[in-house]
Amino acid sequence: MSDVINANPTVLDASLLPKRDGVVLEKNEDSLVYQELTELSLDGLTYTDSEAEDEEEGFDSQEIYDLISTISDPEHPLTLGQLAVVNLADIKVIDHQDKSQIAEVIVKITPTITHCSLATLIGLGIRVRLERCLPPRFRILVLLKEGSHQSENQVNKQLNDKERVSAACENEQLLKVISHMLATCK
Amino acid sequence: MSVSLIHTFSGHRDKCWSIDVDRARGLLASVSSDKTCRVYNLNTRRLVGVLDDNTHTKTMRSVRFKPSSTVPALAIGSFDSTISIWSREDDDWVLMAIIEGHENEVKSVDWSHDGVYLASCSRDKSIWVWEADETNEEFECISVIQEHEQDVKNVVWHPSKNVLCSSSYDDTSRVFKQDDYDEDEWVCVANCQGTQGTIWCADWEKSDNLRFVNCSDDSLVKIWKKTSPETQTGTGATLPSTLKSEEEWVLDATLPKVHTMPVYGVAWNSNGLVASCGSDGRLAIYQESNGDWKVVAVQELSHGVAELNCVKWWNDNTLLTAGDDGNVNMWMVSLS
Repeated sequence: MSDVINANPTVLDASLLPKRDGVVLEKNEDSLVYQELTELSLDGLTYTDSEAEDEEEGFDSQEIYDLISTISDPEHPLTLGQLAVVNLADIKVIDHQDKSQIAEVIVKITPTITHCSLATLIGLGIRVRLERCLPPRFRILVLLKEGSHQSENQVNKQLNDKERVSAACENEQLLKVISHMLATCK
Repeated sequence: MSVSLIHTFSGHRDKCWSIDVDRARGLLASVSSDKTCRVYNLNTRRLVGVLDDNTHTKTMRSVRFKPSSTVPALAIGSFDSTISIWSREDDDWVLMAIIEGHENEVKSVDWSHDGVYLASCSRDKSIWVWEADETNEEFECISVIQEHEQDVKNVVWHPSKNVLCSSSYDDTSRVFKQDDYDEDEWVCVANCQGTQGTIWCADWEKSDNLRFVNCSDDSLVKIWKKTSPETQTGTGATLPSTLKSEEEWVLDATLPKVHTMPVYGVAWNSNGLVASCGSDGRLAIYQESNGDWKVVAVQELSHGVAELNCVKWWNDNTLLTAGDDGNVNMWMVSLS
């Protein structure tokens, strides 16, 4: 990318990002590589096996945050959590006890600048990450936070058009960029 | 009225986007993101064909049987921007033609009532009308319609007239009529506005009437109609001459709200029942009595937790639905 759109973003200290109390991050290199490979695989309707253990209690917003805050920004060597593009308070989960019911995740993102042309790409990256990780009962809504972007409605419409998102996921160039963004996910 | 599941056709390895029925022959076709088309005999429920020879490199989005065809024939529109035409010869499905022209994803294809015209639409905002020959090998583009401001999501021909309805990401449905003097000219006669969101699908009333139903991202299902000359309030006479081709089309009814999420599919049967389905997993059936529409049946979670993309009537009491689980479900609708 030739021109950096926001050259000086505000950066949060990674150690201060919201975590569940007592959670120790594992740094096992082997399993990391393995997970990356499985999570990047594009085979149809599969989602990661780790959700099996989550099935018991359902998902909460911290788990959704953990899934998407580690996505890399397309133009900075920083995560969406560090850039406060993704914030715990802007994630809403409606998951029922009964796993045979339809559940919803609503993520509101805050681009670092209001004319960020990468907002759609970032939103798409979040959608793809969640579609791959969450069980099929989830309907995913990714929106720009109110007032955070000058083309809010346009970007929101595009990000939540099922057909456009599906087609975008068959675009190899785009998928390459997204895979790169998701490569930093735990 | 009650709805009960009578069969599930499974086999797709990814989302099933679109289905169609060859009523004369009792055939069902389904297409998927797995880039295959599966053909079933609805009477025996047996799989009678799989079109999976990598003709399309991306999602197969839309499928339609050719009406009044001497042999079973299909058109398939794909995200790879092409349309393929297939005929069944002996027991094999043979690729007859690949139609190119759209700049990007083809979202919907449909044959006119007599099989003479094929319409296609795309994210490139255009609708193309193709003239088919008897052999299904030659297709000539006779018109490119560029009226919509955004992606065209769906095209559907009237059941007995050369009238086409299109629906779009620009939140409108439009109606095109073949010009009386130049049959290669398609004139926009209606621009149905007022919907808050993408219109995903439309279907015509199964009669000579000019009335259709459409469904949208804002979770609503609406009926639109052309006002008859007698009920027109004389506004036609005051139209400037350039607008003479405009007919008066109005919102006839907004159906009682059943859905809570985007509605992706809608279908009108010859008995006057309308069915709708969508992201919320619901399958709803509506009936009109004395100008009022009532919900007569709702099936929850009709493909489990999966979204529903398409609904079709096989006959007056059998419905078919396609879901993100890759399945096609067959439903018996019983009057009670």
